[in-house]
Amino acid sequence: MTYVALAYGFIWGAVFTYVALVGRRVAKIDAEIEDLRRRVKPGA
Amino acid sequence: MLSPMPTARKSQARFLVGLLLTMHGFFVVPWLVANAPLEKTMGIVQKIFYFHVPCAWLLMLSTFVCAGGSLAYLFRGSERGDRLAQSSAELGVLFGLCVMVTGPLWARAAWGVFWTWDVRLTSSLLLWLMLIAYGLARRYGGAGGRRLAAAMALFAAADVPLVYLSVNLWRGLHPTTKTVSSLAPGMRLPFFFSLAIFSALWGVLLALRMRVERSQARLVELELAVEDAEGKSQ
Repeated sequence: MTYVALAYGFIWGAVFTYVALVGRRVAKIDAEIEDLRRRVKPGA
Repeated sequence: MLSPMPTARKSQARFLVGLLLTMHGFFVVPWLVANAPLEKTMGIVQKIFYFHVPCAWLLMLSTFVCAGGSLAYLFRGSERGDRLAQSSAELGVLFGLCVMVTGPLWARAAWGVFWTWDVRLTSSLLLWLMLIAYGLARRYGGAGGRRLAAAMALFAAADVPLVYLSVNLWRGLHPTTKTVSSLAPGMRLPFFFSLAIFSALWGVLLALRMRVERSQARLVELELAVEDAEGKSQ
């Protein structure tokens, strides 16, 4: 039972970590885009 | 011309719904697996099969999608193909890692060792390493890194049939490809449901990863526009 729980727990952990890392990247890029967008807007 | 992003929120909502649905599936799968009949010889440790096989399937699928995108990039110069290849290679590394962890856990209980140089295990490890090498070539390969990585993806795809058929061609310790078709009726629903949920999760993650690449491309486009605007004003 321990091995089964370890296997499933590992997959959960790996997917969760991956989603969190990619989500953080998305947020960072979106913030940079927003910053640049403000800079290129005329009159900004 | 810089386009606004009116569909960004819609796609974000779609992504969240998809993620929630697949995450919900991640709770249903263990329930189905727990209620599946016990395999006579291996007992409870056989249940790792319900997670290990879908991860292995996604490792192979990711490699094929990566090769498809790489072909489009190499022969048509498709940037979208390149983005698809990069995104799926990353998912291949993720699910390959899951294969490399869940497999040895099963092997320890079934064979008494975490690892043996069986042809299926070795060819799978090679496939996973090739996808890692793909990512490294892109990151550190310099100007021609993307083309080098794309060529490597084609080699990785050539390894997939070898991984799949190895258990039938060279009899080793690993169960053959007939295991799935010979599953007991009570084991089929949890297995195919698990396969469907993992595949759906792969689709959601691919969409998320592709979004990162699109945003990255937009960022580069904006940076160039800013440089251009600042150059003109000086």
